[in-house]
Amino acid sequence: MNRLHPRIRLLWVARAVIFALVAGGVAAAAMLYTSLPIPVYLPVAISFVLLVVGVGYALLRYQAWGYEIRDDSLYLQRGVLTKVYTVVPYVRVQHVDSARGPLERLIGLASTIVYTAGSRGADVSIPGLTPDGAEDLQDRLKRLAIRAEGDDAV
Amino acid sequence: MTHLSPLSVPYRAAQRSVSIVFALVFIAFTGGTAFGGFLGGLGAVALVGFAVLAIAGYEFAYFQRFEYELTTDTLDIRSGVFSRRNREIPYRRIQNVDISRNVAQRLVGLAAVDLETAGGGGTEGSLRFVTYEEALRIQKEVARLKRGDTAPDAPEPDREVLFELTPRELSIVGVLSFDLRLPGIIFLFGTSIFPVVASFVDVPVPTRGIAAGVVGLVMLALLVAVISWVAGFASAVVNYYGFRLTRVGDELQYERGLIQHYTGSIPIDKLQTLTIEDNPLKRRFGYATLLVETAGYTPGAENGGGGNRARRGSEAAIPLAKRDRVRALVEEIEGVAEPAFERPPRRIRRRYVIRYLLATGALVGALYGVNVVFGGIPWYSPLVLVPVAAVAGVYQWRHRGYALTENHFVTRNGFWKREMRFVPYYRIQTAIETRTIFQRRWRVSTVTADTAGSLSIVGGDAAAVDIEDGDAATLRTELSDRLRDALADRREERRRARQAALGIDVAEPDAERGVADAVVTAEDGHSASESLEEVGPRAEAPSGREAETAPDEAETSSESSSNDVPDEPTAEEEESSWDDTSPGGDESDEEQDDERNGFIWGDPTSTAADEDDADTDEGESADER
Repeated sequence: MNRLHPRIRLLWVARAVIFALVAGGVAAAAMLYTSLPIPVYLPVAISFVLLVVGVGYALLRYQAWGYEIRDDSLYLQRGVLTKVYTVVPYVRVQHVDSARGPLERLIGLASTIVYTAGSRGADVSIPGLTPDGAEDLQDRLKRLAIRAEGDDAV
Repeated sequence: MTHLSPLSVPYRAAQRSVSIVFALVFIAFTGGTAFGGFLGGLGAVALVGFAVLAIAGYEFAYFQRFEYELTTDTLDIRSGVFSRRNREIPYRRIQNVDISRNVAQRLVGLAAVDLETAGGGGTEGSLRFVTYEEALRIQKEVARLKRGDTAPDAPEPDREVLFELTPRELSIVGVLSFDLRLPGIIFLFGTSIFPVVASFVDVPVPTRGIAAGVVGLVMLALLVAVISWVAGFASAVVNYYGFRLTRVGDELQYERGLIQHYTGSIPIDKLQTLTIEDNPLKRRFGYATLLVETAGYTPGAENGGGGNRARRGSEAAIPLAKRDRVRALVEEIEGVAEPAFERPPRRIRRRYVIRYLLATGALVGALYGVNVVFGGIPWYSPLVLVPVAAVAGVYQWRHRGYALTENHFVTRNGFWKREMRFVPYYRIQTAIETRTIFQRRWRVSTVTADTAGSLSIVGGDAAAVDIEDGDAATLRTELSDRLRDALADRREERRRARQAALGIDVAEPDAERGVADAVVTAEDGHSASESLEEVGPRAEAPSGREAETAPDEAETSSESSSNDVPDEPTAEEEESSWDDTSPGGDESDEEQDDERNGFIWGDPTSTAADEDDADTDEGESADER
């Protein structure tokens, strides 16, 4: 079972922090600029709780994530509250993307997204790869998909 | 190149004019007469006339520019007045060919043809309008060219009527249909109209107080029920009038419709899922509904109309029939009977009961809250539902289950709306196992087989819900294994069919099996074509030349669909070009040959190499294998 790059935790934690700060900021703004009876400590409390939950979730998420490149299928497992195990047979792979969001670029990571014709097709994305790793993975999956080719997609 | 029917020019112009002209007439006459009296009115007439002329001119240009052609392997459409568009749709990508005609079109003998591919989105090819005869010809020609028959007068495959909706069934469909979109409108309308009506009606209707409110609500509810029922009845009858499902070769054809008449074809090997749906009422009287699902196809969306049809987006759905007939039909189409279902573990019954109890509890809590605020509400009344919750929990468990038949993954879920789904293994896209935090407490999982069906988008995937988590893990791998096997079988079948068609003697079973075995055992380093050539002489084909060409043909057929036009090398070319560009130069020739024949599955050498690749690829990441 392959794990994600450990640095992905940084990304997820950063996202959780940003979210917590934004939520706290919104609450603070509401306190300052509206006449709603919001106690002073509430924005801080909101931020704090979100921060703890978010960071904890991000770390657990990293723990739960794993993928495996099997003979004839890509296998993923993930999920903190709801565990999800996905099997994507290579025959069903339509195309493979590798993508880098702005935060991902900042942190030097990339993700690979696998599309199938299924109604949940684009769900299958593997985050937390090195840029080279993502491209290699994309390439490998592409080759495996071509090799598994032989029938129409749907 | 063929043009559309010339009649489509006036028809389209008229269609387009009506709304524009109405708007223009209104604006021009009110505005025109207000400003310039008679002269202004004249100007308005001129303006309207000009608009109509412009529309007619545009439509004529559209007609002039619109050309289509049925070539040997694509349907070409050239269109566009201002920006030109050339479109080529390969036949084997075409899923459905739908013909529709409304009353006006039927009067002038026109029809609209829509060609759908799996691409989802919109309709890929749309011919507005051709004559009805031409539409039927196109439908037939596309089917023929898709099969790969090159001779234009090849014998038409057998037609077999699978299902016809009897008038009795049609009326039952109507009676059971409620058009649920209407009540909303009626509700808005009704609430505003009720006081007006009440003021006219000369009975002592209480117009104030609680009594008035209750009477009003009851009347409104009745009105809504009656109107939506009538609307549902009408739309069901109009939609399903004359419903007929026919099997033509390897396609399903349906036709239906009273005012707007639809004819369409669905290739059977593009079917994603069959669903048998019923509810307690239908079960009681032994009826069921059948839904036929193809990929990315949401027909009828642009036509609006018909609540029942738009509801599910499945044109060939059989609205209602005796359960036995539906079962027989499923068996006829997919060759699968209703299996014995494996139910979730018994302890799960408690889970469902608890769930219903929680829901009841929530209701009680909410009512209690309301009671605290307003008072005078018997907030404990939902507690009578407690025994009901127990029964419902057991029923929910009873109606749940899954089965693995020879070729299908079958699931059954739901009590009020019970759905039994038949998913052929070779249609599975991904297998997903999910386990929520609550399911983990009960040590159960849900396994979903994702297909490319259009209903699945709405959340109707085939799912084995709440099965033992150990079973779920096996089921997950089992599904992907069976998909692999089913695909291999299909390839094998196609190649055999192709070989038979090419004249390798079918009456010589030994020779044929020899060929097949040689290909199957070609994993051990022999390329499949070599083995085929070795066996070739033994095959004793009628003529030497055919025997020589056979292996090549077999190679092509194994990877392209049987619907292919023969000697179409595109798939292979494309593949080899992909191979050229891919930097993986480590692939040996054997592998490529295997790959061309679709037999990578059992190849231990290539997979071992892949595993190694995997490690090096992810060298940076922690490897916990």
